[in-house]
Amino acid sequence: MDSLLNFSNAELHYDHVHALRGVSLNINEGETVALIGANGAGKTSILRAITGLHPISSGQVHYKGERIDGMPPHKLVEMGIAMVPEGRRVFPFMSVKDNLLMGAFSRSDSKQEVKATLDSVLTRFPRLKERYKQAAGTLSGGEQQMMVIGRALMAKPTLLLLDEPSLGIAPKLVQDIARSIVAINRDEKVSVLLVEQNSRMALRISHRAYAMTTGEVVLQGDSKDLLQDDRVKALYLGGEI
Amino acid sequence: MEQVIANGLYLGAQYALIALGLTLIFALMNVLNFAHGQMYVLGGFVTYVIYGQLGLPFVVALIASAITLAAVGALIEIYLFRPVIRKSHREESTMLLAAAIAFFLDAVILLLFGEKQRGVPKILDGVLNWDFRIIMPYDRIAIGVLAILIIAAFILYMQYSKTGRAMRALAQDRVAAQLMGVQVDRYSMIGFAIGAMLAGVVGGLLVTITGVNSGIGGPISIKAFMMVMIGGAGVVSGAIAGGFILGMAESVGLTVFSGYGDVTYLIIFASLMVFLAIRPQGLMGKPWG
Ligand SMILES: Nc1ncnc2c1ncn2[C@@H]1O[C@H](COP(=O)(O)OP(=O)(O)OP(=O)(O)O)[C@@H](O)[C@H]1O
Ligand SMILES: [Mg+2]
Repeated sequence: MDSLLNFSNAELHYDHVHALRGVSLNINEGETVALIGANGAGKTSILRAITGLHPISSGQVHYKGERIDGMPPHKLVEMGIAMVPEGRRVFPFMSVKDNLLMGAFSRSDSKQEVKATLDSVLTRFPRLKERYKQAAGTLSGGEQQMMVIGRALMAKPTLLLLDEPSLGIAPKLVQDIARSIVAINRDEKVSVLLVEQNSRMALRISHRAYAMTTGEVVLQGDSKDLLQDDRVKALYLGGEI
Repeated sequence: MEQVIANGLYLGAQYALIALGLTLIFALMNVLNFAHGQMYVLGGFVTYVIYGQLGLPFVVALIASAITLAAVGALIEIYLFRPVIRKSHREESTMLLAAAIAFFLDAVILLLFGEKQRGVPKILDGVLNWDFRIIMPYDRIAIGVLAILIIAAFILYMQYSKTGRAMRALAQDRVAAQLMGVQVDRYSMIGFAIGAMLAGVVGGLLVTITGVNSGIGGPISIKAFMMVMIGGAGVVSGAIAGGFILGMAESVGLTVFSGYGDVTYLIIFASLMVFLAIRPQGLMGKPWG
């Protein structure tokens, strides 16, 4: 398998906070990779570094063999990296339709092709069709989450970064969202980096996983092995059923 | 009665356009543009020179006002606000910069155009007289209608164009907009240019009715801020509501209180303070919608 994204030896700072301390991880084409870890471990920081929202202070990031650290977010979207940010970040006063169309903002292909993607997103998430003209801020948390995943898919990404899609969502809907992530990875050949605190769900639907504590990757391996790993059980799966 | 409403609508349409420019800049960049009135004055003088002095058609002059102010707005954003926003996260930095720009533009306008009140020839002659219920000169009607058309065009542009959608997205969630591929710098510049352009266009429109003089920048800014206070900052509907409410209040006030001297604005200021104490976010106070 070819490497799609390679994140090597990256350090990242916020003013005085040293958030990433030499983190390396790799995503191969077609894979779903989970990234688990407690609050403040640095998961979101990795995603911010990949999308160019925050610069790394040392290390390198390669995507499709090209060095991408230092590139601005809009370039990276054009290259096929889409992100669903933590806390959903819908455009609250825009309709579901306009939110989805914003997802296609960076695309340079024809209107018809954008329309085709829009139709496929609406087929994947029929709830969005019912709420099509409604302001996104009035949707339920679960519906918003589906919408922002749809919004990211509108960019026709090669790599999809998901930051805690299960956060604050009813258990029943978490199941639905987990299923859609599997389906997206399988049907659309999109590679996925899934950041989750719901480690059990993340490990069940991913091929491989990395576990972090305070700025460092401490464990990595195949997800099915990690699910059985005693250290993982103790650190990341305890208490959650 | 009809007369008061007609005057209010005419005035309100101009005011709403001014407020739209101010609120657009605020929504996109979190900048309170204290130089908005000066941009209006500059627009007025451009039309004065091209239509009044050079004798070119009014439409050409109005377009020249629009283009000049769009350019001025873009340059101000690129060379002044952008570096300040990059270096300082404190809100007063951009406010002080905006005030400095207002002083600077005031001085430039005074130097270039002097302190005399300037007027231009009427764009249309004649007066509409509807049964003595509404008496309104045709040029006012034309300017009012033009302003309403521009408001409609602006709304359609923000609602349905790709650029408009990107600006709304940027106003509602900066980070998410960046993740969609919206370049913050570019769209801040476009937004600032459009905001300044709207101020300049109203200056060009109103020079044909009330004329222009170099000292009215400050008072126009004050009115623009009042409208945004009434309607709520950063909201299109709020700017429009604020514009029409102020226009109407002024029109009613000038009729009702005509016997008591110049008290209209005193009363408007007093009501505004009470209103803000009760509803500080304005009528439609919420981010861009
Ligand atoms: N904008 C910021 N300014 C300063 N420090 C920050 C900022 N964002 C994150 N941090 C700090 O960096 C560290 C890593 O944060 P990060 O958001 O990457 O963690 P996370 O693993 O995503 O946590 P969570 O599960 O709570 O989302 C934390 O200590 C956090 O407090
Ligand atoms: Mg996080």
